[in-house]
Formats: sequence, C-alpha cells, structure tokens
Amino acid sequence: MDKQLAIKTSGQMFSFNRRVKTVIISVILLGIIIGVFIAGFFIGDDAMSVDFSRKGLKPSWEYPFGTDWLGRNMLLRTVKGLSISIMVGTIASAVSAVLATIIGVAAAIGNRWVDNVIVWLIDLMMGVPHLVLLILISFACGRGLTGLLTGIAVTHWTSLARLVRAEVLQIRSQQYITISRRLGKSLGWILLHHILPHVLPQFVVGLVLLFPHAILHESSLSFLGYGLPPEQPAIGIILAESMKYLTGGMWWLAFFPGITLVLIVILFDKLGENLKMLLDPYSAHE
Amino acid sequence: MKKLSAVILTIALFIAVLSGCSGNMENNQFDPSIGDNNDPKNEVIIAIQSEPENGFDPTTGWGHGTTPLIQSTLVEYTQDMRIVNDLATDYNISEDGTKWVFTIRDDAYYTDGEPVKASDIAFTFNTAKNSQSSLDLTYMVSCEATGDYEVTFTLNAPNSTFINTIATTGIVPEHAYSDNYANEPIGSGPWKLVQWNKGEQVILEANEDYYGNVPAIKKAVLVFMDEDAAFAAAKAGLVDVALTSATHATQDIDGMRIEAVTTLDNRGFTLPTIPAGATSESGYPAGNDVTSNISIRKAIAYCIDREQIARDALNGFATPAYSENDGMPWNNPDVKIETDIEKAKKLLAEDGWEDVDGDGFVEKNGLKAEFKCIYPSGDSVRQAIAMAAAEQVKKIGINIIVEGLSWDEISKRMFSDAVLMGWGSTNPYTSYLLFHSKNKLRDDYYNPEGFDNATVDGYLDAALHAATREEAYENWKLAQWDGITGTSMRGECPWVWLVNIQHIYYVADGLDIGDQQLHAHGASWTLVQNLRDWRWK
Repeated sequence: MDKQLAIKTSGQMFSFNRRVKTVIISVILLGIIIGVFIAGFFIGDDAMSVDFSRKGLKPSWEYPFGTDWLGRNMLLRTVKGLSISIMVGTIASAVSAVLATIIGVAAAIGNRWVDNVIVWLIDLMMGVPHLVLLILISFACGRGLTGLLTGIAVTHWTSLARLVRAEVLQIRSQQYITISRRLGKSLGWILLHHILPHVLPQFVVGLVLLFPHAILHESSLSFLGYGLPPEQPAIGIILAESMKYLTGGMWWLAFFPGITLVLIVILFDKLGENLKMLLDPYSAHE
Repeated sequence: MKKLSAVILTIALFIAVLSGCSGNMENNQFDPSIGDNNDPKNEVIIAIQSEPENGFDPTTGWGHGTTPLIQSTLVEYTQDMRIVNDLATDYNISEDGTKWVFTIRDDAYYTDGEPVKASDIAFTFNTAKNSQSSLDLTYMVSCEATGDYEVTFTLNAPNSTFINTIATTGIVPEHAYSDNYANEPIGSGPWKLVQWNKGEQVILEANEDYYGNVPAIKKAVLVFMDEDAAFAAAKAGLVDVALTSATHATQDIDGMRIEAVTTLDNRGFTLPTIPAGATSESGYPAGNDVTSNISIRKAIAYCIDREQIARDALNGFATPAYSENDGMPWNNPDVKIETDIEKAKKLLAEDGWEDVDGDGFVEKNGLKAEFKCIYPSGDSVRQAIAMAAAEQVKKIGINIIVEGLSWDEISKRMFSDAVLMGWGSTNPYTSYLLFHSKNKLRDDYYNPEGFDNATVDGYLDAALHAATREEAYENWKLAQWDGITGTSMRGECPWVWLVNIQHIYYVADGLDIGDQQLHAHGASWTLVQNLRDWRWK
C-alpha cells in the first residue's frame, strides 16, 4: 500500500500537466531560434572569408557542412544565412501581423463600404499568385533588403486579416458589447477593452505562423535574384549559387543549408502550434 | 494542423520554383533528333553560351572581333595573327595613307549563286557606317566600287587599325539585303545558316561552293546553354563540344577531354584615377579618393601574386596578365612586373600610408585604404578572381570589399568604384578606346576609371594614324611604357591586370578542333573561328 502510494507520488513529481509541458517546449523552441539568431549575429566576416587552400572540401569534423569553391566555411555561412532569414522574417511578419490586425478590425467595425473594400482587396491579393506579387513589389521598391521587407510585409497580411475580421464580427455581436454600448461607452473604449484583448491570441499565433512563410519567401526571392545582394550569405543566395556546382558533385552546398532552412521553418511552426494551445481560449484548458 | 499543411505547401511551392528553373534550362536544350539521321562523323554539336543578340548582320556588329563564318572578309587573320588576303587578291595604300584600293577575286559567289562584286563591299561598309553600331567607321569618308572587282576606301586621315576592322567585317550581298537579313543571312563564307531557333540553336552547313577550302565537317549545330546545362548535356553524350569555365572544369567526362585555349581575355581591376567629386558623361558620380592615389594602385599591382590566383582560384586555367594585349605583336614586353610585396609596402610608406589605429589596414590623413570592387554577380570566375585578389592585398594593409551587382548597376557605379573588368581584342584600336582621354568616363565600359594622360594620348594618336605597321606597333608599345610613363602597371597604372583566363571546353575524343589562335574576349564565338579546320579523326 505504502509502496504503491510512493510510486504514484514520485510519478506525479515528474509528470507535468499538458499546459506546463507546452510552455517548456515553447521556451526550448524559442531558445533554439534565438540561439541561432545570436550565433549568426556574432559570426560576422568569418562567413565571407575566402581560403583557397581548403576549397571544395566534403563535410568533415573540421567543416561539418563542407566548404565551397572559394573555400568558405559552409557551416558559418549557413548559420549566418539563417540568422539573416530570422531577422528578415521577424521584421516582415511583425509588420504584416500589425497590418493584418488593423485592417481586420477596421473591416469588422467600420462602415459597410469599408468592409466591402477591404474584403475585395483581400480577395484580390489572394487571387494574384503570391510569388509574382512579391517579385513585383520588391522590384518596385528598389530590391535589396528594403524591397524584400516591403514585399513580404505587404503581401502576407491577407489571411490573418480575414481571420481577425471574422473574430471581431463574432465578438461584436456578443451581448456584453451591446450592453456596454447601451451604457454609453464609446467605440474606442469598447475596442480597447473588449475587442482587442480577444483578438490578441489570434494576433500572437498569427504572427508566429507568419514566420515560416516570410522566411521561405525571403529565401525564394533571394534564390531568384530579386532579394538580398549576392555577397550576403542568405540561404536563398547559397542555394542559388550551389545550383551551378551540383552538376560538379558538390551536393553538400545545397543539402545542409536547405535542410536547416526546413528545420527552422518547422521549429517556428511547432512554436506557433504550442502558442495557439496556450493562448487560444478554446484550446487553452485542454 | 492546417497551418502545418500550409507550410508544407509553401515548401512544395518553393521546390516547384526550383524545378521550374531547371525546367527553363531544359527548354534551352536543342532537339537531339535533328542530328540523328546523318553520319555523325560529318557533323558536330557545340554547346556555347552567347547568342548574337542582333542576329548575323556584319554591318551591325556580327562577327566583329572574331570571324563572321557565314560571310567572308576582304582579309583575314592567320592562326599566328598575321593578316592575309581572303576575298581580296591584292591591296594598295596611297602614300598619305588615306586611299586604300582593294582588288578582289572573281571566283567568289554567294550561296544564292550571285557573284561577289565590288559594289557589295561598298554597300557593306557604307551600311555599316550609317548603322552606327559597334563598328566605328567615322574616319571613313567614302567607300566606292571603282570597277567590277576593285573597291576604293577614302579615309579622313591615315588609320593603322583599319585593316583590323576590315579583317572582321563580313561582306553582305546588296541584292539580298533587307531588314530581315540578320535573321536570314546570305554570304560567301565557308558556312551557310540553315536554321536559327532563337534562344536555342543555330544550324550551319558547309558551303560546298566556297572558293577556299571547303570545311571537312558538313554540319555544325551550335546550341546555347549555361555552363551547368552544357556540362549535363556533355555528360549525357548529347554534345561533342561544351563550353565550361575554370571554376567548373574540375570534373572528368568519359569520352571527352578538356581543351584549354590560351587567350588575351584579361581580367583586372579598373581603378578610378581621379578623386571623388567628378561626374561621368551621363551624370553618374565619378572618382574615388583612395584609388586616385597612384601609390595605392601601384602597391596593389606589385603585391598581387598572379600565378597564385591562377592556381588557387581558377584551378590553373589562367596565365598572368600584365596588359590589355599580352602576346599580341603590338604588346610591349616591358610591361611585365614581378610580384614584390616589399616594394609594394615601400610605395605605400613613402606616400605616407601607415596603420595608425592598428586595425590591420593603412591610413593616410585619416583616410582608410579601403574601396569597393564590383563584379557582375553570377560570373563565378570574376567572383573567384576578385575574392582571391582581395585576400592578397590585405597583406599590405589595403581592404577591397568585393560586391556582386547586375551589369545595370555596374554601369552606374563603375566610375566611382573599382570594377573587375575584362577586355582582350585582336584589334589594337581597343587600346585607343581604353586609354585615350577622348573616351574617358563614357557609358561604353572602356575608360570608366577616368584615365587622362597627354603623353599617352600623343602615342595613341601617333599609333592610330601611323602610315606603316611598324610605326604603329612602335607607338602602341610606347603608349604602354616609354620608360617614364604609360598605361601599364609600371606607368600610371589605371588598371591592375590579374590574369588572362583560359577558355575551356570539353571536347569529344576524336574531334580535332584545329590550331586555335590566341582567343580574344568571349569564349563562345572565338572557339568556332576556325570551324572550317575542324575534323573527326
């Protein structure tokens, strides 16, 4: 009897409830992402340094990701590239999420014609092939980092805006909002105290889930030559350059940068899912 | 879960974009069935890169600098760069050097059966003059047929490079010339154009009625591909010759050998020779405060180990370069310099450059010895050369920041930044364009560094207007180095030449590509200059 009880309590000591587990996983995921970002930040010029005495080396313990045809260390270049991608992704998806929330709320609480215009705009944006729109915008904004950021920021808000609009429409029809209005509260007050707190989880989760899209689009644009300048070790650039050397058998130039990009994207996606579980009122108590 | 599938979809899209690109490459491939019917020993399939943008019209630049293949020329280059008669049987230059009279052979016919007449030659050169293309004929006053088989050129002044221009200007038939000539050319050369699929391939057939030696190869298919597509095609046995580059030619292909042709296709830095603050002819900022110091330019020139760049960056497929025309009869052998790091350091120290703040780079009056070098992104050979050279100059405390740009952006920034440039021509007139102050800071890429030197101008003018070839060659050489000044690295050093890249091709075993002459700039059409001498063994 005593024994059984002891086992049970010790079992309880190490098993957390699902909520705590989710928090821990989220923190670990975030830690990895921030770690990669900071590592890339400190690499600096080492990622660019050329050394012909070590060119074209296969992956080894000394150079885990190999070296390229100029003898550049691919591990350093890849981490630097991921760091750039994370930075671009953060800025672009933050801007995009803020844009989406503003537009979504405006559509839901504005006049009927405001709503119509915004819904039409969302449909229009979603109707145009995403990559084409991205190329057009980033090209028109002068390419480089600014063009890239603008392009990604102004094309990724649509689906989140639609979500926010639906959410706000639903909240707006709730009884306590009607009561609040009858009590003489202004629209601004209601917005600030009733609506925005409810939209916040959608905003945060939407923000995190925009990351993968932003990063992948950054890489695609750079790959196609419309994004970052070619001496920046961005993942898209690394992949584009490696294309020319794949026929020469240097598979590691594309494999490792590609796989780490996918891993980072999956990390962000998992983080988003976990945050959703924590923040979304419908799933927070599961 | 929906979000995850959206992400996976995005990845799939990304992959689709990737494969979309390789799909494009496949589009560039030719249809291999074309060659299958004939005896393969009579034909050759060649993968090269640059398709002539404006078609095959010699009056707008086709063949200029190489050989027009489809058309024939009055005179032509031999393998060792002598000039011999082709269509011409004889020519005379008047005492004052302004009247050139050519007599031409009477047994030359166009592929449509019409004879080649003196009037066609007059027509060709007058059309070329009026088209104002890459062919500069402003010095030609007139060109007239003075008989059925005699043509007379009148120049406004003696011009020693006119013969070089004539050697690469194909003669077009007046009776068959139209707006569409560039697409459907007719000529009297060793080859006739059978088919041109734009963006894909050109098919040439031997002209059996050619007045010279009829080519041994009866059909040549020239396909236009990038290096990696060409490599894949060569590996699959689809092409007999594939153009490749120094950074790629590390792989062996079964049944093929690597042929590396020595060139004067030079690569080097153009270094702005004037201080910042000037403007180019079309208003872009010109000049650079660091490179306008001759001590900086010369220190770079002396510290560069050219052999090492060739060996390390280009897998040995290059030779050291010391001027724009290494190996040509008008090259001054004294332009060669030895790598001497001590001398480079001394040059800097004497001019007051030293490392004050201890960051490894020298300064003078607070100005750090640092500048940008731009190169066309995507050109992996120029990238490798620029990076290798930038590493070497760090040893003497100069920082070169290498930056890849599109040609479009380079054309705006080349006046104020160093550029990894390349030239190399069989016509000495190129030296005139590169270094005469008349041409400085123009958009034509010749003299973006703003080089302007009265002594050099004098030699260049004397060379251009020389009455005899010996006199011309003497002055071309003096313009490079006269013991005091010149365009070479011993003189004013507006360029730091690094290497002459070799042109590299995978060639099928058993195919003899003849004696290749010293190649000019561009690896595609220089290869087939002697196509009529190619044969299968």
